[in-house]
Amino acid sequence: MGHLIEVNDLRVSFGATPAVDGISFQIRENEVLVLAGESGSGKTVTALALTRILPASARIVSGSVTFRGQDLLALKEEGLAQTRGRDIAYIFQEPASFLNPVFTIGSQIMEAIILHQARTKQDARKEALALLGLVQIKEPERVFASYPHQLSGGMNQRVFTAMSLACRPKLLIADEPTTALDVTVESQIVKLLMDLKKTLGFSMLFITHNLALAKKIADRVCVMYRGKIVEEAGMPALFARPQHFHTKELIAAYEKIGKL
Amino acid sequence: MKKNNALAIGITIIAFFGLVAIFAGMCAPYEPSAIDQNNLLMPPSLHHPLGTDSLGRDLLSRMIYGARISLAVGIIAVGIATLLGVFLGCVAGFYGGMIDAFIMRLVDIILCFPTLFLILAVVAILEPSIFNIMVIIGLTGWMGTARLVRSEILSLKEREFVQAARAIGASNARIILRHLLPHAMGPVLVSATLGIGSAILLESGLSFLGLGVQPPVPSWGNILIEAKSTLGIAWWITVFPGLAILVTILGFNLISEGLKKEIG
Amino acid sequence: MLTYLSRRLLAILPLLFGITLISFFVIHLAPGRPAVVDQTLNPKISLEVKERLVKLYGLDKPLHIQYLNWLARLARFDFGRSFTDDRLVRDKIIERVPLTLAINILSLVFIFALAIPIGVRSSLRPSGVFDKGMTFLVFFGFAVPTFWLALLCMNLFGIQLGWLPISGIKSLDFEYFGFWQRCLDVCRHLVLPVAVSSIGGLAAITRYMRSSMGEALQQPYIYAARAKGLPRRQVVYKHALRNALLPIVTILGLSIPGLLGGSVIFETIFSLPGVGRLFYEAVMMRDYNLIMAEVVLVAVLTMLGNLIADIAYAYVDPRIRYEKT
Repeated sequence: MGHLIEVNDLRVSFGATPAVDGISFQIRENEVLVLAGESGSGKTVTALALTRILPASARIVSGSVTFRGQDLLALKEEGLAQTRGRDIAYIFQEPASFLNPVFTIGSQIMEAIILHQARTKQDARKEALALLGLVQIKEPERVFASYPHQLSGGMNQRVFTAMSLACRPKLLIADEPTTALDVTVESQIVKLLMDLKKTLGFSMLFITHNLALAKKIADRVCVMYRGKIVEEAGMPALFARPQHFHTKELIAAYEKIGKL
Repeated sequence: MKKNNALAIGITIIAFFGLVAIFAGMCAPYEPSAIDQNNLLMPPSLHHPLGTDSLGRDLLSRMIYGARISLAVGIIAVGIATLLGVFLGCVAGFYGGMIDAFIMRLVDIILCFPTLFLILAVVAILEPSIFNIMVIIGLTGWMGTARLVRSEILSLKEREFVQAARAIGASNARIILRHLLPHAMGPVLVSATLGIGSAILLESGLSFLGLGVQPPVPSWGNILIEAKSTLGIAWWITVFPGLAILVTILGFNLISEGLKKEIG
Repeated sequence: MLTYLSRRLLAILPLLFGITLISFFVIHLAPGRPAVVDQTLNPKISLEVKERLVKLYGLDKPLHIQYLNWLARLARFDFGRSFTDDRLVRDKIIERVPLTLAINILSLVFIFALAIPIGVRSSLRPSGVFDKGMTFLVFFGFAVPTFWLALLCMNLFGIQLGWLPISGIKSLDFEYFGFWQRCLDVCRHLVLPVAVSSIGGLAAITRYMRSSMGEALQQPYIYAARAKGLPRRQVVYKHALRNALLPIVTILGLSIPGLLGGSVIFETIFSLPGVGRLFYEAVMMRDYNLIMAEVVLVAVLTMLGNLIADIAYAYVDPRIRYEKT
């Protein structure tokens, strides 16, 4: 099976401080790669760098991101914008703040549909409602007309997932999508994502600091520490024979939580 | 320490004007109200560096004495406003409840009056004088400080060190003065320096309307009264006093900006 | 929304009470007796006027009765007569309102039309050349005495260059003009007053817009909008600008007292027959009925402006419009 995306020696820095310090990884079709590590280890910056949506203060120093044979980092902004959302989509940590507070849920989903698929408004509306159904929202009509602040965190994350999947992307980048949610809601969202992955067939880059979660969903795990990937392993192997001390720390943290 | 250009430039400007104002008697080449019939409306020259007005008075000397008035009015007015604002803000924030509601409602009410209208109405009744102007500007300018201090006090009140002070039996006054106010002083200072600029602006506007500092006592604002009747004839009467006001306010604003950076 | 609305409406009652109380307090500020009948301060007031005042204000009655009577008259918009020409204060004010209103609305339009694009442009490249230039101008705009700027502009554009009239609202030969010529004439008279009176607001709103846009551009939803694949234009002008513009309605309300206060100075300098000039004349003549009427009026106007701004804000911000369910 070929690689869907291939990251080579990616370096990102804020001013003179490197945040991502020469990392490389690949994701295959239909694979779930978990990027694990403590906060501040450069996971989110990596995720944002893949389609160059970094904050203005960050700079990509070097590296390449090859997606279906094309180097995304060498593309012009307009070309890259077409890839975003259509081929590579994101979901983020705090859905409520990543949804625009002044637009309705419906208009934000429709915006994504119309942007990449040149469809009429009625058509987009129908599709948006269907997407809300797809993420198992019970009253799509009501949610469609709501504003983000009127919905719960779990609900907003479902909405965001629906929006991200609007164009059936090949790669979904999920940046700690459940960290801000309750544990029960977390497992619902994770289950939803895995179900959707099965039905729609996409690859996933799942970012988390929680190895328990990684154990449930990952095909492979990359452990990040201070901007570098310090360990890469298939799933059972990582827990059986952790090599790097940071991996051991993360496993220990997970076991401690497990015992509580 | 990082270099703080705004603060340095601001302090330089204000120190310059301040020294000139304090040593006005030594700096001014002429008596500010000495009339010279032979030199009416003279453009700037070696004898009169900034020219003369329609009574032949030396503009530079009038402006130097005017600096005294304008700075004094600005500083004292803001002093009154700041004292009042700090006091009412402390009381409101510390005691809360009805007192707080009352003071904050008062702030809302006074903020409904455009300052100039309120001041002019009072001036119409009390007669304009330097003293009245300072007091009125002070009495109509404390609301921002009160709000600021109140919110600072509210956020500090529940902190451990205040609780600790309370536990060892410190009096309310002591808690406010020793433990709460010092933390609020930074922002108060920033807004006070900014306020001096606004107060000078207000005073000059009032004096320009003939309702502030009364001639023959010179203030930058009332020197400009004559600018209107000599428009197109004597540019120096318009340009220099206005420039002095502008630069002074710029100076105070720069200090305020610099202090804000300093406090972080 | 409804609870919010009723809460806001209820809050104006104490404000109204306070405004009238302070205004009333100001009349009675003079030491001893109310200033209105103090002959030493008001040599212009004749004995006959004085008697009428005593009756009008019921000055022989206790203070709280006087206040209540005054309130009752206020409620009927009865402000008494002007001392100078014995006309009804209400009529004198009403005929002056349109001009002041027109100038202030024009100023607001001018301010927002310039400040919003400038602020947005500055925020897109903070510390860029454009931003630095604008920051400097804004700083200057805050410090410049606007009445002085008015004098300079009158001198330059009116006297030296002769491009624009500097006084009044119409030319001397206005009566002989055709319709369009008249319009043009009035516009030409308004250029300087509107431009100069906008400087302060322009500086404030530009600075405000720059920071609010800068903040909006760093919000998480901006990353989400970019991640969706929206072109930069839409990210900036739809997603960020919409959020940055919300508080502007409040600022609009807050800028009313400044503009009204400014009218006193500008209308006086440019000899424009508006409410501000009327107030100035009233103060010069110690025309107390007129002074009191205007003070109460501008305060109530400011209060209503703020109220409307708050309601408008609640309407444009869905987070208040639809309270959490």
